[in-house]
Amino acid sequence: MTDPQTANGGKPMIVLENVDKFFGTFQALDDISLTVAKKEVVVVIGPSGSGKSTLIRCINRLEKHDAGRVVVDGVELTDDIRNIHEVRMETGMVFQQFNLFPHLSVLDNVTLAPREVRHMAKAEAEELGMKMLARVRIPEQARKFPGQLSGGQQQRVAIARSLAMQPKMMLFDEPTSALDPEMIKEVLEVMEELAASGMTMIVISHEMGFARAVADRIIFMADGQIVEVGPPEHFFTNPTEERTKTFLSQIL
Amino acid sequence: MTTTASRPVAVRWVKKNLFSTPLNVFLTVVLGAAIVYLAYLVIRFLVTSNFEILRVNLALFMVGSFPRAQLWRVVVALLLLAIMAGLAGGMLKAAARERSKDAGIRLAEVRGSRAVGSWLRRFWPLGLLVIAALALTRTLTPTLVAIAVVGLLVASRWLGAHLGPIPRRVGWIVVVLLPLAAYWILSASGLGWDDWGGFMLNIFLTIAGILFAFPIGVALALGRRSTLPVVRAFSIGYIELIRGVPLITLLLMAVFALGFFLPRDLRPGSVTRVLIVITAFEAAYIAEVVRGGLQSVPRGQSEAAQSLGLPALKITRLIVLPQALRATIPAMVGQFISLFKDTTLVAIVGLGDILAASSFANAQPAFNAQGLARITLPFVALAFWAGSFAMSREAGRLERRLGIGER
Ligand SMILES: Nc1ncnc2c1ncn2[C@@H]1O[C@H](COP(=O)(O)OP(=O)(O)OP(=O)(O)O)[C@@H](O)[C@H]1O
Ligand SMILES: [Mg+2]
Repeated sequence: MTDPQTANGGKPMIVLENVDKFFGTFQALDDISLTVAKKEVVVVIGPSGSGKSTLIRCINRLEKHDAGRVVVDGVELTDDIRNIHEVRMETGMVFQQFNLFPHLSVLDNVTLAPREVRHMAKAEAEELGMKMLARVRIPEQARKFPGQLSGGQQQRVAIARSLAMQPKMMLFDEPTSALDPEMIKEVLEVMEELAASGMTMIVISHEMGFARAVADRIIFMADGQIVEVGPPEHFFTNPTEERTKTFLSQIL
Repeated sequence: MTTTASRPVAVRWVKKNLFSTPLNVFLTVVLGAAIVYLAYLVIRFLVTSNFEILRVNLALFMVGSFPRAQLWRVVVALLLLAIMAGLAGGMLKAAARERSKDAGIRLAEVRGSRAVGSWLRRFWPLGLLVIAALALTRTLTPTLVAIAVVGLLVASRWLGAHLGPIPRRVGWIVVVLLPLAAYWILSASGLGWDDWGGFMLNIFLTIAGILFAFPIGVALALGRRSTLPVVRAFSIGYIELIRGVPLITLLLMAVFALGFFLPRDLRPGSVTRVLIVITAFEAAYIAEVVRGGLQSVPRGQSEAAQSLGLPALKITRLIVLPQALRATIPAMVGQFISLFKDTTLVAIVGLGDILAASSFANAQPAFNAQGLARITLPFVALAFWAGSFAMSREAGRLERRLGIGER
């Protein structure tokens, strides 16, 4: 099989081929094919229930796809637990609800995976953790507990926690939609810096300003299918599909 | 607050809380009268009763038929356990203090007379029990022992609270070793569990029951959620089977029916059998409590851990269980308290616990047929109430301590 074509012509980081996903008889993903290049930033938009979350959860095996192929940095996701582990080690994920571990301090949240998965020594992990917290601009909160932080701070800790595993790509599932408006910016800024540093990213988000600024491509999904794909200008100037137009008119 | 101001405040408080509405007035008068009458009954009981039956049988109530010449063993064990409890409490306190200091939360430090007040509020029933028991003794030794126990508790608690992080690690090892040492002292020189009795037996069955049943219960709760069908079926079957049978039935079977199934040499002693039954029984209930806790941990927690690459076992051990168990503390302590009280059921299968001691004392020629159960049973009740009260109060504190920084 030839290397799938990517938008900026680079090597593919994530390849989905004809992926189907069912919940019972309900089809959440319908013949999805998508290739994301290294360093590419893809923003996924679409109405509620269109399968956006399901799509990115299939990439790190939080959901198991029912048909087609998912290949992440050359590793195909199968029932083989070693492949799944390998993919999860190099894929970071940020959730809408942060999902920080409430019983661990901020620093312990960040160092847990490096220590338990990469078997890093405590001092080394904490140095790395502090570096990551500095990167998301909250090193002074290291000893606090998640419950003591604002939503925006928690989400930045969640980003630092993923970055501490030094992933090759990051998946974001509506990272700012649980946040108060004044906190959205601080999280988006961190994400923009991340994109500028060359991280491969798939971001589910309806923050169109962010999409315009950093996305290489926008994907519009509906009913489990990819309806339209293109660079941001395409979406802002002349989207072709009727459904895309309707949706954009609702969110813009 | 000045004294001149305090009187109107008190009056206002009484008006607002006791006599605000006609219904409130009615309730205050009726319940107040009931309380006064009950207090009168208790005082009359204390003043007019003859406590000779308790005085003569105090050792029987406390340690059953444990050889009287070996009572020093009980004393030493008590002292060791006091050190253990003090150390553990102090170290938990120190750890909580450090965690909260790091997180920038100010824990209310209670010192001096306030600290004594807080102790009294938590342990006054236990203190009442000890004072009642000491008032019944005829020599000074038990009082000295009680003073030593309290002294050791306070001293080791202070020590535990002032240990650095590394000595604290040693401290925890000591905390684990001390009860083993206490156990060894109580069972050395040919004495076995079957020589234990009285309140000591109730306490032993409670603690040992908890220690053995807890890990089994957690394993069963996890097994119930396992993806392996055999493990899941076994866990569900076990839990539902045990929960469908009364404890007393299981105890009777273990003591009277087991003989038919086991060869004579393999039949363990009565206390062992009872402990096995209690463990098996409690494990099923603990499993259900833990299941509730596991369900209270949001799915996002394990998904976040999965996305970080943590393997399933570590997710359970480091993420899910700590949160689940913390959420179960109130229910778990309720379970432990009911186990504590249920240990009196062993009296029915012929073991000499504190309840059996009560019947035994009432059957003695000197006290026979005088209706003295009205003296002995309240004493038994006081013993259990004091223990249960302290357990539930301590659990509340533990919960708050572990929950530092959460929500
Ligand atoms: N575990 C599940 N069991 C059953 N159905 C599910 C499950 N997860 C998702 N679905 C269904 O699959 C469809 C797609 O869900 P998904 O969460 O991917 O949508 P989404 O595009 O992320 O929506 P939203 O914007 O609301 O997050 C929805 O109809 C949802 O009800
Ligand atoms: Mg979603």
